[in-house]
Amino acid sequence: MEHMAKIAFGLYTLIILGGSILAVGSASLVRAMVGLIATLLGVAGMYMLLNAQFMALMQILIYVGAVCVLIFFAIMLTRADGKGEEAESAPVRKNVLALLAVLVPGSILAWLVMTKPQPTTGIPVEVAIEKLGLGLLGPYALAFELISVVLLISMAGAVLLAWERRGGK
Amino acid sequence: MSNLVLYQLVALILLMAGLFGITQRKTLVGMLISVELMLNGAGLSIVAASQLTPANAMLGQLGTLFVMGLAAAEATLVLAIIVVVARRFGSTKTSDVSTLKG
Repeated sequence: MEHMAKIAFGLYTLIILGGSILAVGSASLVRAMVGLIATLLGVAGMYMLLNAQFMALMQILIYVGAVCVLIFFAIMLTRADGKGEEAESAPVRKNVLALLAVLVPGSILAWLVMTKPQPTTGIPVEVAIEKLGLGLLGPYALAFELISVVLLISMAGAVLLAWERRGGK
Repeated sequence: MSNLVLYQLVALILLMAGLFGITQRKTLVGMLISVELMLNGAGLSIVAASQLTPANAMLGQLGTLFVMGLAAAEATLVLAIIVVVARRFGSTKTSDVSTLKG
């Protein structure tokens, strides 16, 4: 069983790595979105390995189901042309600066993570879905209600922003 | 290396990919994709840290749920902003969106 978990971890890591490289480096935005979907599915697999099945389901439902459809609408509504929006290559200086902006915080964080190990239990604990629901309705009810208000306001704001005025200016 | 460190390194890969994308992409949609990558890394890190340590596991999962909700709200608003920008400037390249109007 231990070996199966390690193989699955390596597979999901490969999916995440390849997907994120495709999402960041692809010249066509639609291909970048396919890479993003692969990455999200890999992260859902990681949640499964972490014994958080509900989170894996929510990851697929919310991210793959909703956010990716939103991004696809964004690509469609901006009349993306077929040959790729990011086709012309960036100047070398910009690429080098971007790489620097990644490597400095990345290496600092990796150094911190590797040299300051936290005490772990080794085996992921299991949280029953009932406990999650009771938590949302009990001690964290305020945060739950606030996030629904945030979602409502953001939806109303999106409709207001994108509203096409007829006969106006 | 413990399992927790491995999961944190995977989350770090996601963060680095997102950071690279957001500094290097030339369109707003590409930057939105990069932000989603970074938020996923944050969620994975939170869940790994709460599931593999003696911390409160329920709190970690609920926190990641809230991160997902915020990501959905943010994607909605960015979609609206992209539509407005595309209508006004004719493209969503960040180099074209350069005029301010008081």
